[in-house]
Amino acid sequence: MKFHSNPFIPKRLLKNGLLISMGLLAMSSTMASEASIWNKIAMHPLYAMQSPVKGKIINQATQEPIAGATIKIVGKSSSTSSDVSGNFEIDAQPNDVLEISYVGFVSSRFTVTSTSQPVTISLSEDSSNLDEVVVTGYGTQRKKDLTGSVAVVNVTALKSQPAGSAVEALQGRATGIQIVNDGAPGSTPQIRIRGYSTINNNEPLYIIDGVPFEGKLSWLNQNDIESMQVLKDASAASIYGARANNGVVIITTRTGKAGKTNISLDAYAGAGVPNKGAFPKMLTPQQILDIDNEFNGTNLQLQDYLLAGSATNWDVNPAVDADMSKYNYNAKDRASFYQITKANKAGTKWFDELSQTAPIQSYQLAANGGNETSQYAFSGGYLDQKGSLIHTGFRRYNVRTNTQFNAFDKKLRFGENLSYAYTEGYGMGVNPNTAGGYQGEGSVLGFAYRIQNIIPVYDEGGNFAGSFGNNLGNGENPVAMAFRAKDNMNRSNFFFGNAFAEYDIIQGLTFRTNFGLRYENYNGVSYTYPNPEFSEGSFNNGMSEYQGYTTEWTWTNTLNYKPNLGEDHSLNVMVGTEAIKNRNRGIDGSRNGYFIMNSIDYLYLNSGSSNFNNNGSGSIGSMFSIFGKADYAYKDKYLLSVLARRDGSSNFGENNLYGVFPGISGAWRISQEEFAKEAEWLTDLKIRAGYGVTGNQRIPSFQFLNRYLASLTQSSYPINNAVVNGIWQTAYANPDIKWEQVKSLNIGLDFTILNGDFDGSFDWFNKKTTDMLFRVPLPAVSVGRATAPVQNVGDMSNKGFEFSLGYHYGYRQEKPFTLDLSANFSKYKNEVVSLAPTITQVNYGAFRSMETSLLQRGQPFGSFYGYQVAGIYQDDADVQNSPSYEFARPGGLKYADINNNGEIDPGDRTVIGNPHPDFVYSFNVNAAYKNFDLLLFFYGSQGNDLYEATRYFTDFGVFRGQKSVRLLDEWSPTNTGSNIPSLPNPKDDISAMEYATSSYYIQDGSFLKLKNFQLGYNLPTKKIFGENTTFSKFRLYFGVTNLFTITKYEGLDPEVSATPSDYPALGVDFGVYPQARQYTFGLNLGF
Amino acid sequence: MKRNKLMILLGAGMLLVSSCGKEFLQKLPQGELSEPQVGNKDGVEGALIGAYSILNGNVRDTWGNYSSAPSQWVFGEMPSDNAHKGSELTDQTPMNMIESFTSISTNDNLSTMWQVYFEGVLRCNNTLKLLANDQAGPKEISEERAKEIQGEARMLRAHYNFFLWRVFRNVPIITEAITSTSEAQNVPNDKDILPSIEEDLKFAEANLPSTKVNDEFGRMDKNAAKAYLGKLYLYQKKYAQALTLFNEVMAGKDIVSMPYWNNFDVTKENGPEVVMVSKHAINSNGNAENSNVGDMLSGLYGTSPVGCCGFYQPSIDLANAFQVDANGLPLSTTSYRAKPYLSDLNNPTNTYALDVKLKFDPRLDYTVGRRGVSYLDYGIMPGNAWIRDAKYAGPFVGIKTMIPQTQFSTNAAPGANYLTGLDVNIIRLADVWLMAAECEVEAGNLAKALKLVNDIRNRAATLAPKKTASGVDAADYIVKPYPSFASQDAARNAVRTERRLELALEGHRFFDLVRWGIAKSVIESYSSFEGTYLSSYKGITYSAKNDFWPIPQAEIDRSNGALKQN
Repeated sequence: MKFHSNPFIPKRLLKNGLLISMGLLAMSSTMASEASIWNKIAMHPLYAMQSPVKGKIINQATQEPIAGATIKIVGKSSSTSSDVSGNFEIDAQPNDVLEISYVGFVSSRFTVTSTSQPVTISLSEDSSNLDEVVVTGYGTQRKKDLTGSVAVVNVTALKSQPAGSAVEALQGRATGIQIVNDGAPGSTPQIRIRGYSTINNNEPLYIIDGVPFEGKLSWLNQNDIESMQVLKDASAASIYGARANNGVVIITTRTGKAGKTNISLDAYAGAGVPNKGAFPKMLTPQQILDIDNEFNGTNLQLQDYLLAGSATNWDVNPAVDADMSKYNYNAKDRASFYQITKANKAGTKWFDELSQTAPIQSYQLAANGGNETSQYAFSGGYLDQKGSLIHTGFRRYNVRTNTQFNAFDKKLRFGENLSYAYTEGYGMGVNPNTAGGYQGEGSVLGFAYRIQNIIPVYDEGGNFAGSFGNNLGNGENPVAMAFRAKDNMNRSNFFFGNAFAEYDIIQGLTFRTNFGLRYENYNGVSYTYPNPEFSEGSFNNGMSEYQGYTTEWTWTNTLNYKPNLGEDHSLNVMVGTEAIKNRNRGIDGSRNGYFIMNSIDYLYLNSGSSNFNNNGSGSIGSMFSIFGKADYAYKDKYLLSVLARRDGSSNFGENNLYGVFPGISGAWRISQEEFAKEAEWLTDLKIRAGYGVTGNQRIPSFQFLNRYLASLTQSSYPINNAVVNGIWQTAYANPDIKWEQVKSLNIGLDFTILNGDFDGSFDWFNKKTTDMLFRVPLPAVSVGRATAPVQNVGDMSNKGFEFSLGYHYGYRQEKPFTLDLSANFSKYKNEVVSLAPTITQVNYGAFRSMETSLLQRGQPFGSFYGYQVAGIYQDDADVQNSPSYEFARPGGLKYADINNNGEIDPGDRTVIGNPHPDFVYSFNVNAAYKNFDLLLFFYGSQGNDLYEATRYFTDFGVFRGQKSVRLLDEWSPTNTGSNIPSLPNPKDDISAMEYATSSYYIQDGSFLKLKNFQLGYNLPTKKIFGENTTFSKFRLYFGVTNLFTITKYEGLDPEVSATPSDYPALGVDFGVYPQARQYTFGLNLGF
Repeated sequence: MKRNKLMILLGAGMLLVSSCGKEFLQKLPQGELSEPQVGNKDGVEGALIGAYSILNGNVRDTWGNYSSAPSQWVFGEMPSDNAHKGSELTDQTPMNMIESFTSISTNDNLSTMWQVYFEGVLRCNNTLKLLANDQAGPKEISEERAKEIQGEARMLRAHYNFFLWRVFRNVPIITEAITSTSEAQNVPNDKDILPSIEEDLKFAEANLPSTKVNDEFGRMDKNAAKAYLGKLYLYQKKYAQALTLFNEVMAGKDIVSMPYWNNFDVTKENGPEVVMVSKHAINSNGNAENSNVGDMLSGLYGTSPVGCCGFYQPSIDLANAFQVDANGLPLSTTSYRAKPYLSDLNNPTNTYALDVKLKFDPRLDYTVGRRGVSYLDYGIMPGNAWIRDAKYAGPFVGIKTMIPQTQFSTNAAPGANYLTGLDVNIIRLADVWLMAAECEVEAGNLAKALKLVNDIRNRAATLAPKKTASGVDAADYIVKPYPSFASQDAARNAVRTERRLELALEGHRFFDLVRWGIAKSVIESYSSFEGTYLSSYKGITYSAKNDFWPIPQAEIDRSNGALKQN
């Protein structure tokens, strides 16, 4: 029943779980001795002709004897166990096969050749799996005892991928977890566990060393992670009650271990190479001019100059206007501004100008060790990642310590984890608070689509060129934007730690107290430079700065009781309380009108001369919870777990202050049944079922109160020309606000066959969200322009299944070549079951004249909603005879008349796409041959639609900007088969309906990426450095991420995080930070 | 022993549970006020100021509040024969649909207008509710002041409701008697709101003081209530009732001596011609959210010192309406359209020369910026350098919403000269004069109407001529009083023309055309004239349903069936 899944997995016996695992070990050994009693009975005289085989069982790694190992003859009933010195004796014949097993070790087989010689059989430590102890809510369990749906993440594989954030590499590592990454350094990945449980915040709850944490994890070095588990269903997660709706990710950091001091150094360096070819192709300036010439009946050649003083385009007289002595870029006002800009006739490749080869380097030095009474671990790391977009980057310095002590015969154990990280980031998309929060039409990347490519990056004086001039549109030079933001830094000092103590009061009864503290101090500055080269630019300068802190403390007390109920019964009861209090406070200020801008040393708030702004804000919250859990097992066969939590939260008013969240789950290990033991091939088989309720309280605070604001800007009025402060009601109350709940049913199956050659699991789930917190948009007659309260009105459903399958070769056979193949498959179907009775649908994702996304009964959350393109109007008669809209024209988009009223109106909008994938999948190959190892990791998403919002600018007559090469195939009276609308004559009345939200923007977003490729070589340290070398490990590796992407999507990168809107607008692409191909060279040293 | 330890621990645990009770979970909002904190005198007065604060059509931020501007340029001028949206065709396209009467119910200008003014109504209601609580309980506010507060709040509510009525006609009546969001949600829009506006104005007229409360300029007063009530009657064609009120407002005032330009001069605010105004200011910290944000898009474009957006351009037709005959009297539409003045529209080059011989009412150059004529203190208007796309929206720019350069430092937002402290008139005395003239015409008192119209024209004649670059008068300025009105029709026509010229680009024109019942004929004939020169305005058709706009679709959707589309 032992097998390997992966050579890198260390034994995961966690100190926190030591107590329980020791109990389990004791149980296992009694079972073994019980078997030997049976053995004696089996010693029938009939077998007397057999001669005893003598031998010794040793640990392969330490060469020390193993006591209590079970030795069994395959196919017979006789068995014995090894004594304290590892010796055993069993009656066997030649050609009998002995099977030796011991908890925590890979079982081994030995064929008896002769009975005369004593044999030595070595067992290798089991690096995985069924006896692996995993951390669940407020305790630990063996993996084989799990009754809920818990994904155990292969942390080693995770670490092999260079990433700024610990969770970035979680993608594809466990079933049921969908992660959307982007390419920004220190990016904040979008994590969804089993789909979307709510239209609100869908981020999971993290439990780090027992302390709950919500937020981004860019402060955490992934090398510090010892283990990571994901509680996916409510029966497992409801112990975390009101914060567990979106799943719980439990992270345990590295701890000290008794033994000699181990020191390791992990380092890698590399470079990200942007995929310039993925940026949509644009028409050249000549092609744009050809179109203009045709519309205007002109025959112009491309102009030499765009701007020279007040002369523009063809009116520029080079001899007079383009005189560099007149050039004055750094003017204080428009009148004296004089710029000379040549046309870039070849066309500026804006994305190329914005992208760069991006170096990355990371170093981590770690040590751990200790003795019987105290253990310690320490690590320090440094990560410096430049982005593949210019002037973006992320740096992190982090240090972490863990110490543990025990006293009174190990009855008292106490210790701490403390981590500190300093991070700084700058530039677009770096380290945003919410995944995808940087996206928008006004971003650096957004403008790479919008600005005309006849505009060069620089003017004749070496300053930035731009759209100021005539007919150059309103795009802003994105290179200038990025350059000017290069010093806009956000910084964070982040402390996270906990101190704990536990005491065994009586045998089996342990009290534990844990106090966790998070303290983050964050600050940032940003500078505004004049951008006179921009058609909507300004001569303003300025800076703004913010400072703030967040604290949260969590005090948890648990009492764990594990009575000794004999061999057949195992019971573990835990009760506890938890109090949480958090506070945030921040200030920010800004000024304009600085005397100089060329030295950031000068730019402090008090040096500004105008637009004085100072603001402060804060939040406060508290929770108090009591909870309990009981796990019962009968003969390791029948497992039952019940739990409940009662949460109180300051987010809810008197009427619904408390919420109760129960969970129950059970499992049947069929493989432990007598009838199943016959099936030799079946190592382990377990059926699980669980049901539970979790909650969500992540809503803006104080929804149960009417709230007013005294605001100088929103409720004040000039009386006698002096502005007098008044008040207004900014928020209307819902006194009955209560908890959002998810009820979830999970049925699963875990199996291991052929002694671990194959393993896998299958889960089916049905999650139903009720009382969904929903800010029901109220009419202005109810709330004016104030905020409507959140109400408990919606229902949402997620159903799905997921399975993983692994194949492992070479471990049992102790072959030099080992191979692990694993595949993950996850599927969910999301449906908004109901919204408020008054609301049949909510359109959101508003962006200029588009509204991309929809909440509607019966549809998946965030479905794309708009007009269904039915073709192109072919001629005036077609416009006349077909349903049309005002100013419809031949060559313009023709929509389906869904409501059959003969015209195209808002009633014709329909669901035009689904941003949710049909399924996501991953495939992992791990191979090792002697000292070489190879890793391949594929990740894919199938069947999700994307809304390529950037087409608004590049495909229609909206603004004078870059146009897509799709227009080369635009509809025309001679190209009637085209489905690309023709560019309208700018002089005509163009209906906004042409570029309204429609299926024209929708594309299949399916993709398959080779996310990670890594080839490593372990230097035989003893061979090279001699037997006495201190090097225990010397591994070199070469890796490539994002080696290739297979997709039909025409945008920059098919991985698109949700865009911030009233609700997350899923799969709407305004220009995501694309993932670069990253080459890394790394080194792992152990000594 | 062990049992004791256990008991101690359990005891400690219980203690923890009980001590972490409700108090631990009861927190107060941070940086916000909750109800008990505003249930006092300061709370009521603060809420009232909050209600005034919607006069500028802006709740928060500066961008996006164009359609709710107190000037009502989006609904009152742009769709009329006076003005164009301006800028470029593809800029703010939903406004194009307002201008061409093709708006659909999802137009964002409609929802902004609806939401901001209902926010205003709710703020008035909240003031009245908080006041009622005080009067029913602690009575921190004197009974006398309570009456005034009610008068101020109800006057403001009448104004907000009247603006809603003009644009949407069928609006639900939301009063302070409504206590919950769901009750408000279910109010249908099937009742005429004018009687309740009238009731509010009558209450205000009866209870507001004749002088400003505490001499605080910006507050509502009896005079404003009278003028507004008169205007309401005029819209209902109750001429006699209206005239009585107008006469009371005009009594003892001499408009001819009041300088015309003071109405648009940021340094001459709070003058005697102001009847009701939306007051604007730049906050002491430079913030512009209490400024004239609704008109910001009219900020001149290009090389102008303002540097904004180039919206809200006067039409060719409006500029030409200022043409006068040799007697200084307005030309008829047919005659001025026969020989229109187009500025440099067809010759936007260096060779263009301004014809200073043309005969114009001097108010032209105080209303319309045109090439070759001095513009405030900005210098000579250079034509296209200040205009985004003259071929789209014509060669003219507005003046009444701009302030002089010299005032930028004190009356404009730093770095944003299009956000100014310029007040916007909602009713000014000249408006009352001309409304009174209308009443007199309809009552058949042509002589009285003649006097009122000529007062306005006599004042216009006192306007200083605008100059060209070479310092000569930019036109042959001439404006003279009418010698007499030949008939009631002629009088009516003269009053209407005078109203157009005097109040051009102040947000009245479209609503006037609608109440006069001539919107279709005026707009369609204007479209064929204007469309000759600017193709975008060709072929506008008008029908009775265009007298007001669709109710925003989102509001209908959110009303649970209570609101019916117009």
